[in-house]
Amino acid sequence: MGAIIKKEFKSYFLSPVGYVFIGLFLIMFSIFFYTDVIRYGSTNFEYIFFSGATILTFIVPVLTMRTFAEERKTGVEQLLLTSPTSITKIVLAKFIAAVLILLITELCTMMYFGILCFFGMPHIQTALVTLLGFFLLGMAYVSFGIFASSITENQIIAGVITLGFFILMWFLPDFNTIFSDFSLINIFTKFPQGQIDIADTITLISFTVMSLLLTIIFMQRRKSVR
Amino acid sequence: MIELKNVTKKYGSFLALDDVSFKIEEGEIVGLLGPNGAGKSTTMNIITGYIEQTSGDVIVAGYDMLKKSKKAKKEIGYMPEGVPLYLDLTVKEFIKYMAELKQVNKRERKEKINEIIEKTGLENVQNKLIRNISRGYKQRVSLAGALVGDPKILILDEPTVGLDPKQITEIRKLIKKLGKNHTVIISSHILSEISQVCSKVIIINKGKILAVDTPKNLENRVVGNNRVYVTVEDKKDRMKDIKKKIKGLKTIELIKENEDKTKEYMLEGEKDVDLRKTIFEVLAKEDITVFEMKKADATLEEAFIKIIEGGKK
Repeated sequence: MGAIIKKEFKSYFLSPVGYVFIGLFLIMFSIFFYTDVIRYGSTNFEYIFFSGATILTFIVPVLTMRTFAEERKTGVEQLLLTSPTSITKIVLAKFIAAVLILLITELCTMMYFGILCFFGMPHIQTALVTLLGFFLLGMAYVSFGIFASSITENQIIAGVITLGFFILMWFLPDFNTIFSDFSLINIFTKFPQGQIDIADTITLISFTVMSLLLTIIFMQRRKSVR
Repeated sequence: MIELKNVTKKYGSFLALDDVSFKIEEGEIVGLLGPNGAGKSTTMNIITGYIEQTSGDVIVAGYDMLKKSKKAKKEIGYMPEGVPLYLDLTVKEFIKYMAELKQVNKRERKEKINEIIEKTGLENVQNKLIRNISRGYKQRVSLAGALVGDPKILILDEPTVGLDPKQITEIRKLIKKLGKNHTVIISSHILSEISQVCSKVIIINKGKILAVDTPKNLENRVVGNNRVYVTVEDKKDRMKDIKKKIKGLKTIELIKENEDKTKEYMLEGEKDVDLRKTIFEVLAKEDITVFEMKKADATLEEAFIKIIEGGKK
């Protein structure tokens, strides 16, 4: 499994994907850093994440769309799937590699925290809770992106499905408040308020587990219909 | 080593493999032969565990592919059709990755990788990106990937497609060499390839096994008739009367007249009679000079076509 994680992680940087993901995120994040924090002379690090979370909607599809789709199209998945590694391990390895990129990106946001420390005393506990929530949201998003990539051999379609789903999740509560408990991004917004809601944490984690399980089931099933 | 028992594969209502059964013993080099779309790749994909059969059993190296797939897969080296590779890795990185995937012992890994690179003749390109190497080298990289982990079984899906004649001979030589300590299955629709390399041929068409035999036996199945081709100089035009003088000769037929005034005839004798000696003696008596004489060998090609057509009926 380690081999796949290593290879997948490396391949994010052999193609522009890794750079585009981290770069785009930091550009957008810097803009929000200015508009949401600096402009108000505030030291509330967590405020950036209200807008910051929306960036994930647009860049996670870029990160995850090729995960399975590309290998399926080029046929290299045959090498992977005929090796003595189980599908569960393959899915987990790819997930972990993508999450590592996410983690690097999140670590980069710490520099904004550093900048704020220079000017005042941002609330470290809230910041940490926000980062945790952001990470959980990112994991949920990545897991769905990987699922979308496993159901098609066209990475563009995988990307569009992922993006479409995230946008839907984002705006669903506007149609009916029933959906607000299902909207991942809505769930996340409680974290920057400094509270770890057990229900929300579990929702995000179970969404991740569910997406990964669906991916595994789908890959298994494809063996008999391929 | 490999056993398929009543394997059927359906895609919706389309029957890709229809009750296929065969057995391959250790150390055999087996050719899987059939026209395009016959079910060769499907068969290979099922043996390698890439796809699952709809019904039937696949036993690889003593392990059931469905129940003990991890152990079974460890014994197989697979070179898929169209040589899919990670283009953005270098040759060495790719082989290393395959070694890791196949769980080659960490201590031996480096040594084994170098051994395989040498065996497949990839020393010169080992640090190049796969994207930038020629088709022939890509084929070898794919073969190297299959060899990683010392699998007992090698499954090569159309290993010589897209290569130039020189590369084809090289790959064939390599396969022959590998056959000494591996059980090999090669799929191909090129017959000469199979007859050169394989000790056993499985002919498949429309998802059905039509024949399992040695190349020699398959050829013999078709020959049946006993033909001799002779090229003669026949100044006195006595060839047409020769039929009466040779015992066991059924027909004689002029095939062509050459520019140097020699003529080529086809003589067909009754079964199990070797005409060559009598022909030579009789023609000499008749003052006909023999320039060339050869016994007709049926090619695997003819056998193949005949068997496939027989299958259609």
